[in-house]
Amino acid sequence: MEQLTPEVISELAKAIAVAGKAIGAGLAMGIGAIGPGVGEGNVGAHAMDAIARQPELTNVITTRMILADAIAETTGIYSLVIAFLILFAL
Amino acid sequence: MSKKKMSTKAKIQLTVFLVIYTTVGLLNAKLMTAPPSEALKNISNRWIVQFGPANAWYYRINPMTVIMSFVVIMVILAFARSVHKEFSLIPNRKQAFAESLMDFLYEIVESSVPNEKYARTVFKISMTLFIYIAVSNLIGGFIPGISADVSIAENGARTVKFVLFSDTWFSPTGDLNTNLTYAVMVFIISQYFAIKTKGVKGWLKGFLEPVAFMLPMNIVGELAKPFSHAMRLFGNITGGGILVLVISYLVKYMFLPPFLWAFFGIFSGLIQAFVFSTLAIAYMSSQIEG
Repeated sequence: MEQLTPEVISELAKAIAVAGKAIGAGLAMGIGAIGPGVGEGNVGAHAMDAIARQPELTNVITTRMILADAIAETTGIYSLVIAFLILFAL
Repeated sequence: MSKKKMSTKAKIQLTVFLVIYTTVGLLNAKLMTAPPSEALKNISNRWIVQFGPANAWYYRINPMTVIMSFVVIMVILAFARSVHKEFSLIPNRKQAFAESLMDFLYEIVESSVPNEKYARTVFKISMTLFIYIAVSNLIGGFIPGISADVSIAENGARTVKFVLFSDTWFSPTGDLNTNLTYAVMVFIISQYFAIKTKGVKGWLKGFLEPVAFMLPMNIVGELAKPFSHAMRLFGNITGGGILVLVISYLVKYMFLPPFLWAFFGIFSGLIQAFVFSTLAIAYMSSQIEG
């Protein structure tokens, strides 16, 4: 077994930091994507319902749907930014 | 649907393009042997020029953003001049495109700001934002060009190396400073509209609604608007850019990048530009009364 000299310990610390970064960024992005996924799914489903009921309003509904999608997406984008911060800036 | 037959010239051009494309891809596969973690470690570094005292944040410039902003402005100006030169009652193709674009957004503005006087101002602001962001997203999204590869040494010194055709052009909207500037601008303009329509007293009273207890909530709610407005655009453009760069490197720039550029550059870029300007309209119209 290798001796735990200071060099080995500092190497180990670096490796643990990298592992923590990878796990943290992965968790941030993975869990953060659940909310926007559910939200955008709801928006899309109800927009489809509305279009099926009133096809003449398709243009208006599509515009509003894209806007609502973008707002539901916000938290996902926050977690993406946090993941970048963890990976590149920490 | 009528199917047109491809002309011989187009066939030859397509064949030449495909041959060059495949050759470059095969050469890349042979030459690019560095592991991805080695090749992509400079992905998040920015080229920063420091004037005056060291580490003073107010003397810093992001040259790539400044240069590309001027490029975008020049592209828009050139298009506008070419439209203006042949301005006529019976529009040609360019003029029809510009007019229908303006008409499309003006209808949205009209439906959310009924007052004609303010509708024109809101339309000008949001249309300017839309054109600028759309063009910069398109340039940064799917046109391969020169990009800066910056590596930071242990002591913090930055060395800049320019690389050709490994990445798309740098998009000004991929820099948070640009987006935050526009978001704060929209925020200040919307507060100005609120003061103008409701008066200073009415504006201040708006923060106490529905009860005075909600004052901190209302202030945080107002301040969160420009933040989320800017972060949305920044996250979408930067995230898309990094994703495309990583996947492009993994497949050695063969076959996949054009499709990714089409999705992240054209589709996602235009949607985000549209969303940014629509949200600007929504924020401004929510502060205008009557």
